[in-house]
Formats: sequence, structure tokens, C-alpha cells
Amino acid sequence: MKRRLLAVAADGALILYFVFALFPVAWMIILSLKPANELFSTYFSFTPTLDAYRTVLGAGSDEGVPFLRFFVNSLVVSLGAVGLSLVIGLPAAYAAARWRFRGSENLMFTLLSFRFAPELTVIIPLFVLYQKLGLFDSYVGMVWVLQLVTLPLIVWIMRSYFSDLSPELEQAALLDGYTRKQAFFKVALPLVGPGIAAVSLLAFIFAWNNFVFPLVLTSSEAQTVTVGALSFLGGDRPKYNLTAAAALVSVVPPLLLALTIQRYLVRGLSFGAVKS
Amino acid sequence: MSPAISLRGIRKSYGRNTALDGLDLDVGEGEFFCLLGPSGAGKTTTLKTVAGLEEPQSGTVSLDGADMTGVEPYDRGVAMCFESYALYPHRSAYDNLASPLRSPRHRLPAAEAHERIGAVADLLGIGALLDRPVGRLSNGQRQRVALGRVLVRPARAFLLDEPLSHLDAKLRQAMRAELKAIGAVRRTTTLYVTHDSVEALALGDRIGVIREGRIVQTGTREEIWHQPYDTFVARSFGRPRINLLPGTVTGHGTFLSADRFFEIPLSPPAVRSAAPGTPVQIGVRPRDLSLGPGPVELTGTVYITEVLGRATEVTVRLGGSTCRWSRRARTPPGCGPTLR
Repeated sequence: MKRRLLAVAADGALILYFVFALFPVAWMIILSLKPANELFSTYFSFTPTLDAYRTVLGAGSDEGVPFLRFFVNSLVVSLGAVGLSLVIGLPAAYAAARWRFRGSENLMFTLLSFRFAPELTVIIPLFVLYQKLGLFDSYVGMVWVLQLVTLPLIVWIMRSYFSDLSPELEQAALLDGYTRKQAFFKVALPLVGPGIAAVSLLAFIFAWNNFVFPLVLTSSEAQTVTVGALSFLGGDRPKYNLTAAAALVSVVPPLLLALTIQRYLVRGLSFGAVKS
Repeated sequence: MSPAISLRGIRKSYGRNTALDGLDLDVGEGEFFCLLGPSGAGKTTTLKTVAGLEEPQSGTVSLDGADMTGVEPYDRGVAMCFESYALYPHRSAYDNLASPLRSPRHRLPAAEAHERIGAVADLLGIGALLDRPVGRLSNGQRQRVALGRVLVRPARAFLLDEPLSHLDAKLRQAMRAELKAIGAVRRTTTLYVTHDSVEALALGDRIGVIREGRIVQTGTREEIWHQPYDTFVARSFGRPRINLLPGTVTGHGTFLSADRFFEIPLSPPAVRSAAPGTPVQIGVRPRDLSLGPGPVELTGTVYITEVLGRATEVTVRLGGSTCRWSRRARTPPGCGPTLR
């Protein structure tokens, strides 16, 4: 009897937490469905409308905010950042896993420190530099600065994947008559495929979610959704319904990506995790 | 003519651990050379040094007389079978065997490669498994695929690292017999690493015993068996192990056991090599003892008798020391009786 009560209490606590955790999401969905005139006067009973989505996606009344462009910018900048990080990071991770040289650990730690040092500490100098170099508000500039976010992630996670591979596999390839480069591309790289999928998704989400860099280093041309969604809050009165709709729309790409590579993701995340 | 594989003063250490400590080794053209040693002796490191996968801190490796310092593994033209198999897990058995034949160094036209792979697979009894991914093969099957990947290609030398160790006993014996009959193995210089002395004796044209990164002795199986360099080599071969009985050389050319329990006449060369009073050990292989009258007779008490089917192993007490004795007799002596 006592055990049953405990089980019920535990379930109740879980449901409470579930409601607590998901309420912001539910509240955003509700907000995004409200018509502008009921925005501040109602909680749960209102006439639902998709007007906010129409406006955000550029089909409704023009609010002067090019949200679709922000959306495309986000896609270009995030995919570009992840792509560049993979090109640089995969060979770097492989080298870090296979060869220890003087200072290699320091180098790796420096890379990691980009992840935990607050972006705000470097943002002012970066802003000045970007203004002078003409990188301000450009795709190249954003892809470049996002390397601070994506590169350490990819190098560190992929290094543990490469370390898990027996070096004898590549040695066998060398003796089969392949060069070191071919051994990397034909043997090592295909075997860490699931890891690449997992880490790419993770890096994409981090790049997509980044707020501070686009906030300071872009103005309109290369601005991303995270900052763009805020533009609806300016003006005479904040349009929370539009902001909510914009936020929900911008969740779609990471979500779609996660669903498509889910198969690799579970394998990938668990594979890299078991590192002694 | 220079030897096919020649190692001179190879030194290799990992941090504070010394793997190879001034190793010298020569393997002749077409020879089947067995390297025998306990685990951690440096056998695998020796192979990898020959293959160019490990770079020694000092010493030189030469193949067919050419110094291999700085020569990449793919330019050395040697094939190696790894103890861990090192098969490509994302490919089928067929693709693993085909890997060397698709590489820029050993490329063959697809049809020709197909034929070679078929022939090697049949030779190793894996013809039916070629379509399977290597993850779905048993350890024994994987080991044969790994061996096949070596045999399928032309090579200046084969380096085989315990290629039979994971097979079950029956298959191991069959493969051991077949291995030397394989044409490619017969024609190609082979450096074979094992910790199994039976394998080394059965396969090696010559045998090298390695210990703590140095070669203790090299020689034919007769030389190694009858004139072991030291007790380590003597103990490495033969089951049950050789009996080593401590004692001294006496003034009148005999061996006196440490507890003065028995005395054995020594051959003149043995006497010449040791002054009277020198503490020595005498080694007697269990198989060389027999029951009954002979040139040298010892008297002892049967301590333990083990009937092992084909042979019977008897442990005999000789005063303070024990002596193992192996005989083929069907009726072993019971415990207790005095043996003469």
C-alpha cells in the first residue's frame, strides 16, 4: 500500500515537472496563435489564427522585417560554419588522436578554452577588427567567427572517436599499399561516420542558436533568426505573437536535421561516449 | 648475398619502457624464420619495425640489402598479418581481401583480382564467407581472412604475428601443417612470430628466441633443442619442461647433485668447459629418460603419475630435487615404488 502511494507520488511529481518544463513551449505556441488584438487581454481562450505565421513568412501584412532573409542567413551561416569546421577539424582531430608532440595538449586545451571563455570578453575587439577588415555584417565574417563555437566541439569530440579506432587499421592499409592520406580517407574516415553525423548536428545547433556574435557583428545583410526574431519587439508596441511564431519557425531546421540523422545519432553519441 | 631481412642494433622504447634493446636479426632469402618469445618480449615491435610502422630510435633495418631508414611502409613491399587481425570492419570479407589488390601499389585488373581472391579463399577454407561483413565472422574466420589478405598479394616478405593463435586446437593443427605447404609461403621470406614453441619447432627453418628486446639465440630446431644457449631457451621448448638439476662439477669429471644424492659422469667437452667445484645445472629432457639399465643410472621414488592418454608423465623424487619423466608406456608405475 505504502509502495503504491510512493509510486503515485513519484508519477505525480514527474507530471508536475513535465508541465513545468514544457509550459514555456506551450505558452509560445499559444502566443503565436493569438490575434494581435487579443495578445494582452487573454490567457487561454481566444480565436486562434495563423496570421502571425503568415506575417513572419512574408505572406501577410508587411511588418518591415525581412524574416525569411534572416532565416536563409541562419541556414547559410550555420551550414557554412559547420562545413568549414569539418574540413579543418577532422584532420586536426585525427592528428591530435594519433600524434603526441610537444605542446599538443596545450594546443588542444587552448582550443577547448574557446568554448568556455565567455564570448562577451572578445566581442568588442572583434567588433573593431571586423569594422576595419570589412567583415562586418558579411557571411564570411559570421562563418569565421562561428568557428569559435563549432571548431572546438568538432575537434574534441572527433578526437575521441579517432582514438577509439585501432591505429592498426590504418597500419594495415599502409601495408596494403595505400598512402597515409588514402588510409585516412578510405579507412579511418568511413569508420567515424556516425560520429561525424552526431557532432555535425550538435555543432549546427550551437551555431544556429548563437546570439551574441550576430547581435554585435551583423546589422541587416547577414543577420540571423536569433537576432532577427527580436525585431518584432521594436516599434510602438511589442508584437509577441510574431516573435513567438518566428522562434517556432526557426526551431524547424535543427529539428528536421535531428530527425533525419537520428539513426546515426544514437549510435554516434553512445560510441563516442565510452572512452576510458 | 645479403639477407632478405636484416636488423642491426635496433633500439626502441616507449617512454620508460624499453621494447627492443639492441636487437640483431638476419632472415635469409626464402627462409621461414620463427621468432619465439613470451608476451612483452618485443616480438610484435620487431615485426612493426621491419614493416616501417614503428621507427626505431637507433639501429638499421635493411631489406634485400637496402637500408630502409625513412622508407614508408607502403614502399617496403612487405605484407603483415596483425594479431588483432586489423580487418576493415565496414567492409565484407571479400573487400578486405581485395584491399591490397585495389591499392595503387599492387593494383590488379578486377577480373584477375577476383580470381586470386577466389584461389586464396579456397586455400584457407573461407570461400563461402566472402560476402559476409567481417563483423559477422568468428575469430577463427577473421584470422583466416587476415592471413588471406597477406597471401593474396605479391610481397618481398611476409610478416605474420601469431596468425594461428585464435584458431581452435584442431584447426590450428591443420593450418599449421598446411601453412608451410602453401606455395606463396614456401617461396617468400617469412618472419613468423609466436609464443608457442611447438609451432616454432614445426614451422621454422630457423628459430630465434627473443627475450626482453634481445635475441637470445638463433639456430635450426636441432641446434636450439640440443644446444640451448641458456636455461631460458632450454625451458622455452618441450613439454613437460626440461629438468634442470643443480649441482657441481667434481674433480674426477662427474656431476654431483647439490644434495649429494646422485652423481653422473660428464662428457669430456662438458668437463673441459667448467673447472672442478663450479656450480652448474644439468639439463635432462623428460623424453630422454627411460626405465631400466643404461649407461647412466639414477634411482628415485615415484612421486606423481599423470596418465595423459598418449604419454604418461611421472614426477620422480631424486633426493631433494624432483625430475619429470615422460614415457609412452601404457601401464604407468604406481606411486611409491623405487625406480631404477
